[in-house]
Amino acid sequence: MGIIAFLVAVPLIAAALLMLFRTDQQRNVITIAAAGATGLASVVFAVQYLFAGYTVFALPQEVSYITTWILTAIDIVLCAVILWSAVRYGNRTALVLGIIQTLGVVWFANMTLPEGAEHMLENPVYLDQLSVIMVLIVGLVGSAICVYALGYMKDFQHHEPEGAPDRRHFFSALMFLFLSAMFLIVLSDNLEWMFTGWEITTVCSFLMIGYTRTPEAIKNSFRQINLNMIGGLAFLGALIIVHLTTLPLSLGALIAATHSMASPIFILPVMLLSVAGLTKAAQMPFHSWLLGAMVAPTPTSALLHSSTMVKAGVFLLVKLAPAYQVYPVASAMVVAIGGITFVLCSFMAITQSNAKRVLAYSTIANLGLIAACSGVGTSEAVWAAIFLIIFHTVSKSVLFLCVGTVEHRIGSRNIEDMDGLFSRLPHLTRFMMLGIMGMFVAPFGMLVSKWATLVSFAETGNVLFLILLAFGSAATFFFWAKWLGKLAGVAQKAENVEGGVHKSEWFSIGFISCLLVGCCVLLPVISQTVVGPYLAGVYGETPQLIGVDNMIIMVAIVVFIAIVLLTPWGRATKKRRVEVYLGGQCTEPDSRRFHGSMGRTMTSTKRNWYMEDVFPEGTLTRVGLIICISVLLMAFAACFIFDFGFLAGGSFMVDREVLLVGPDLLGILIGTVCFAIAAPVAGLLLDGLDRKVSAHMQGRVGPKILQPYYDVRKLFTKEPASVNAVDEAYVTCALIFAIIAGGLFVSGSNLLMCVFLVTLATLFMIIAAYSCRSPYADTGADRECLQVMSYEPMLMIMTVGFFTATQSFDIARLFQLDMPIVTSLLPIFLGLMFVLTIKLRKSPFDLSYSHHAHQEIVKGITTEFSGRTLALVEIMHWCESVLFLMWVGMFFIWDNPISIVVAIVAALAAWFFEVTIDNNFARMKWQNCLGGAWLVALVVGVVNLFYVLITPFI
Amino acid sequence: MSYSSKSPWLIHYDGSSCNGCDIEVLDSMMPLYDIERFGIINTGNPKHADIFLITGAINHQNVNVVKHIYDQMLEPKVVVACGICACTGGVFKDAYNVIGGADKAIPVDVYAPGCAVRPETIIDAVLKAVKILDEKAAKMGASEKNR
Repeated sequence: MGIIAFLVAVPLIAAALLMLFRTDQQRNVITIAAAGATGLASVVFAVQYLFAGYTVFALPQEVSYITTWILTAIDIVLCAVILWSAVRYGNRTALVLGIIQTLGVVWFANMTLPEGAEHMLENPVYLDQLSVIMVLIVGLVGSAICVYALGYMKDFQHHEPEGAPDRRHFFSALMFLFLSAMFLIVLSDNLEWMFTGWEITTVCSFLMIGYTRTPEAIKNSFRQINLNMIGGLAFLGALIIVHLTTLPLSLGALIAATHSMASPIFILPVMLLSVAGLTKAAQMPFHSWLLGAMVAPTPTSALLHSSTMVKAGVFLLVKLAPAYQVYPVASAMVVAIGGITFVLCSFMAITQSNAKRVLAYSTIANLGLIAACSGVGTSEAVWAAIFLIIFHTVSKSVLFLCVGTVEHRIGSRNIEDMDGLFSRLPHLTRFMMLGIMGMFVAPFGMLVSKWATLVSFAETGNVLFLILLAFGSAATFFFWAKWLGKLAGVAQKAENVEGGVHKSEWFSIGFISCLLVGCCVLLPVISQTVVGPYLAGVYGETPQLIGVDNMIIMVAIVVFIAIVLLTPWGRATKKRRVEVYLGGQCTEPDSRRFHGSMGRTMTSTKRNWYMEDVFPEGTLTRVGLIICISVLLMAFAACFIFDFGFLAGGSFMVDREVLLVGPDLLGILIGTVCFAIAAPVAGLLLDGLDRKVSAHMQGRVGPKILQPYYDVRKLFTKEPASVNAVDEAYVTCALIFAIIAGGLFVSGSNLLMCVFLVTLATLFMIIAAYSCRSPYADTGADRECLQVMSYEPMLMIMTVGFFTATQSFDIARLFQLDMPIVTSLLPIFLGLMFVLTIKLRKSPFDLSYSHHAHQEIVKGITTEFSGRTLALVEIMHWCESVLFLMWVGMFFIWDNPISIVVAIVAALAAWFFEVTIDNNFARMKWQNCLGGAWLVALVVGVVNLFYVLITPFI
Repeated sequence: MSYSSKSPWLIHYDGSSCNGCDIEVLDSMMPLYDIERFGIINTGNPKHADIFLITGAINHQNVNVVKHIYDQMLEPKVVVACGICACTGGVFKDAYNVIGGADKAIPVDVYAPGCAVRPETIIDAVLKAVKILDEKAAKMGASEKNR
């Protein structure tokens, strides 16, 4: 108990001290001491209680009573602050909402406080593993951000106009107050106390967003407070209803009550609390406050959007998860809003060039995913939600902090200006790249959690949200990859401007990056010892979503990627440097200036790809608002329309178990070795045959079958030269990942992991191309990103279809089936055939690069690769082609050895079909590629998944 | 055994040709002549190419471009001058703006004369160039061993 008081008190005291002592020196000392103490205390707290499980702390009822009085007083003070600001800045909405809230608080206090001390909860404070995780997040990441703010705010003040008042003490104090409120939220069982914490965070963030007091900041801060007050009022409404039902004001008691006979009474409080959670978590239709909050100084964004404010919202939703299993309407509401927010905000993030807005949209999207997971409410989904919380916090805070520092170094937060940052801010950019990778690629935690999300949606048969997830993830890939590409560009001569970065900034960014890698490495351990027991405590079962062996492989890959990014490994510094290819005479490679026709010197410019016409922000926002508001209204209306039997009738989703039948680590290793030897050979023969067959189709003789082998051997003997020192390292990584992906497949391991690793390999190819900063390679890489975005939904749907047909994600399961899966997954098979054209780089969709003689973007993504690097690209292409054809073959496997022959024949037939198409079609525009692939994925996905998931019930 | 000769990839550059030779170069890539039989691919990218085919004379506008493309090609590499203009400057030799054949800008390994050069001549020249490519590759390998 002592340590909990310490956790809440230290930031409070620090906040008070910061208001008193205002010089830089004093602030540094106080902040560092308080952040250190908070961080240390949270670690001690975690060591003490991480494995303790559910623990309650008794408090004398008098003490509780006095605390409640104090907190109620704080509530009223907060209302006063809101009202005062509303009057001062003349915001009517805030005034009205503030008055309602004040009346509500007073009325509620009038109900509860006169009842006296004996009605207070005996155990108002509790903790379980989830609370401990949240304490660690707030204590470590939150404190690190406070330290970061020291250096950042120095620069910030410097950039302010002359004569601007120095209110940095106030800013720092608010940050600490925020931490204190967060501890209060995650540790109190008493809903009244939690409400106070809730309101403190609302008002603190209001003040932080309005910190600069520019008209824009004021406007956005009022938007924030108005939207959050709706959530606050919902929370208050829930409190009042719970109190009227004479249930103690305890979160634990409420959730327990939802599983009792009296459950129908509690649907309304649960719905209201969900609305409160959704508001805090910035879900549509309340999402605009988070976008507006980006005007605030960056530490605010980092604190609000990665570790604290929004996490309080999803924390509440995760806590309510067991209740969603009872109330299908509440569950549907949360899942629908979360899922739609995820997909729409991922689309909108594509159109943004402001780095902070990209981060904001991706934050909203990921929170949507977390909300949807808690809404599903099964133990698997909650597993995913908790890991999403952890990994989102660490990755996103690194990104926010990096963007903030970069903004001060280069004077812009526009992604276009981050071109070539790899050379200008070498260390910072690497951390940023790590953060971005942490957000969206396997094997980083975020993707593992997304994987778990996919599994839990598949298990509950939630078709619509599987589809939303598939498309949203594809968009996620696109906007992160193109940003990553901008960062990765290596300028040949660049000035290092990293000198002015403050020590406090380095410390925070480095510390949280270590946390990021640490969390990824420790993922299996965290799952086994913390999240597992938590779920066992709540649900009585521990989900087994992902085999431990797969997790170990992922950990190894994380370490590998961290080494590639952060150390000089694989840098070919001795190679001859050549200039980028600009079609003519290059005069200055860094600025891409070249001597063009008519004797003019021209500059080639290249912007990121925003696709505003495909994903218009305004329209998507309107669509989202309309859908989400209707969902909210319909859900509340449903509470009054339907009878209690339905409303509290329990989830109508089916729960399926994932069978883990994959091989162990040794098996995967053997598979990888086999694939590494056999696949290039098979791939090279196929490639040779491809050229031979194509030649015959065109009425020629064509080259020898072994021609691709000669090509690659020749490339290995060429002089080593490249545009920069890193591209070969990236391509080597890509090849390694492609081989591991193939190894997983042939050893019979997880299909989903195989798909993710193929994507990872492609990502490394894309980064390698972007790193050259050549207009042709960049365009090729952009198109490659587009291709990934086009086919990714289909592949996701394929894996889910695989799961629904086999009850497992493991390829080995195929040999236990009575019937090949093509019998039930025919539409998905046809969809795969469609995207196979993209994956095999065949016309009509060979946008990014092809083997054809002429291509309008020189050689697309491979333009700047030469010699050995190009040979590795070829080998990777062989391996991938073999792997993709095996995906085709897997549809024809059942428990009969003959099926292998059938599968090989089918794969070869598919290959021949693709070659025929290749020779008979012209290349299409990218719009057709994206539109076609998405339409096919949508149609076959919906049709096939519905068919497979619904038939068992007919 | 050298693999350079088995997989010669081309880049074609049009200096200041009248386009007669260019059409013949493209002609030789057609299915009729099927140069892919020899593993030849027209890459259009100096970084991938082993053989540099130039048509047309060198003038003041393009001399640096030709040098630049040549620089961007990786060793071993050979240059084939296709057509009489690329060999010597041809009928434009004495024009005020023409410097001369391709060898005024970069070292040329094989000269394929003709106006316009015939596809058979081009293929013959490329196959000659391939032998030189092999020699250069062997020399490169030897010097690497000595190092």
